[in-house]
Amino acid sequence: MGSKPAAPPATQEGTRPRFSVRTTLLAYAFLLPFLLLLGLYHTWPVLFGTYLAFTDYNIISPPRFVGLHNFQLLLHDNQFWSGVVNSLKYLLVVPVLQLLSIGLALLVNRPLPGIGFFRTAYYVPVVTSFAVVGLIWTWMYQQDGPVTFLLQHLGLMKNPHSLLNDPGSALYAVMFVTLWKGIGYYMVLYLAGLQGIPKDHEEAAMIDGASRWQVFWHITLPALRPTVLVCSLLSTISAIKVFEEIYVMTQGGPVGSTYTALFFTYSRAFQDFRYGYAAAAGLVIAVISLIFGAVNFRLTRGGRSDA
Amino acid sequence: MTAQLSAAQMKRRRQTRTRLLNTLAYAVLIVIALITLYPFYWTFITSLESTGNIYDAKLLPANLSPRNYAAVFTGTTVPFWRMAVNSIVICTAGVSLTVLLASLAAYPLAKMRFPGQNALFVAILTLMVLPNEAGLIVNYITTVKLGLLQIHSGPLGAALNMISQYAAIVLPSLASIVGLFLIRQAYMGVPTELIEAARIDGAKELTIWRRVMLPLALPTIVAFAILEFVAFWNSFLWARILPIDEEMLPLSAGLLNLSGQFSTNSRAVMAGAVLTVLPILVVFMFGQRYFMRGLEGAVKG
Repeated sequence: MGSKPAAPPATQEGTRPRFSVRTTLLAYAFLLPFLLLLGLYHTWPVLFGTYLAFTDYNIISPPRFVGLHNFQLLLHDNQFWSGVVNSLKYLLVVPVLQLLSIGLALLVNRPLPGIGFFRTAYYVPVVTSFAVVGLIWTWMYQQDGPVTFLLQHLGLMKNPHSLLNDPGSALYAVMFVTLWKGIGYYMVLYLAGLQGIPKDHEEAAMIDGASRWQVFWHITLPALRPTVLVCSLLSTISAIKVFEEIYVMTQGGPVGSTYTALFFTYSRAFQDFRYGYAAAAGLVIAVISLIFGAVNFRLTRGGRSDA
Repeated sequence: MTAQLSAAQMKRRRQTRTRLLNTLAYAVLIVIALITLYPFYWTFITSLESTGNIYDAKLLPANLSPRNYAAVFTGTTVPFWRMAVNSIVICTAGVSLTVLLASLAAYPLAKMRFPGQNALFVAILTLMVLPNEAGLIVNYITTVKLGLLQIHSGPLGAALNMISQYAAIVLPSLASIVGLFLIRQAYMGVPTELIEAARIDGAKELTIWRRVMLPLALPTIVAFAILEFVAFWNSFLWARILPIDEEMLPLSAGLLNLSGQFSTNSRAVMAGAVLTVLPILVVFMFGQRYFMRGLEGAVKG
């Protein structure tokens, strides 16, 4: 979801806010249940998780502080780095996803009869769980399944095999599923962005003799920049943290070809019970995704709209 | 040259161009719709077959049989009905509590003045941006430490076990920051005079919240509730990581067990998948308008 700019509270300008004790108590009473759960399940994980990264912890005995030891181990852990590389490869999804969903949004933004049906059709994968989507595509990718059938008939595959069993293609096959599931989501976000653009700018340019392409490139796209930032940021972060598709479809295999960074974290925590080590890996992934988030911010010029 | 064309000619030209473009647009739209829908359709028709080459690409089922659905409904290895009930309980509790908490908390943030208001708002905002990689791990530890996974005994043991395991599944997702923002945004649109008038009439804040704020923010609340329904119905990872009784699993998570246990009968798993998607599709069809608006609101801000 997009973040929102913090709006100032409803204070009258110029007057110094005078707080009543009663209102203050009431306000906190309204906020209390939400804040309790927020603290326990959102704030605490950030704090305790950061602390755990510097400890050795297996839940049974209390965490033992080990300083930077986990990070030193990570540095020499080949499995972690191949996970990071796979997660970075996964970023290829981002530009493809953004381009396709912008294109699709432009397409369904046209006032064609029956367009509602198409918008709905593209959204069906979005509302389906990864459990179902992962299973469906595992079946679709079977050696004698529809994908193999299609690729063979297009002359793209000589000896029939499942893309998921092939270390060379498994990661890309999973990436395609992410793309397939995500496109409708970003399409709707871009559609909202498109509909927020005032029509008069585009129309004025058209009257001045600009071509459709010029209008798109010089007016629509700059106006869409805030949406592009939100969407590319969201998809970058979720690409680096991809997990559920892999959990359902490949479990990191074959021969580690779909073993991503977050899958590494999951395995260390829930299969090896090395919670401190897993938390350290999580912290490194968080830093990586922050860096890519910042890159995104730069590339979209902070999402400033020119329109 | 173009200037010499008559208005009628121009119009005709533009019409042909538009028609051509529309035809092209429809062609692309249909191809993409096929790509997004065919996997669902294929799973559905395959789940209706009893025999034949299971993974074949096909357009129509080779034969029709309710056998796979019967296998799921009467399934002895996987408690399908029990999982469906779990999903319904988890969704009902999850959605109503999430909406309740967010719509309560959004009220003071939008319409009251109290010390710490700004700081709280910024803090909540920051939480949304902060990376939460260890979330799964720490929440797991928290759940264990809270004793939600302990086995209770005694006369009420069975009931307590159920309640605490449901709580273990639902609790971590109840405080929705996105929901807080969406509903706060909707509350901001409620005229302050309306609230002031109610206060002068002596209405309590809880009454104002219930009688003024909630009804006026209803479209946003419904949109958010639909989003949350989809999220709760579809979530599977957290429930699968928790070491809870298998019969406590919701459908999405249970489906993966189904796929493990029915590995010899993929068609039954396909039937299970169809049955898992169905409620979402029904809710989605009914709530589509609200749903899209909710998403749009989230990006427009």
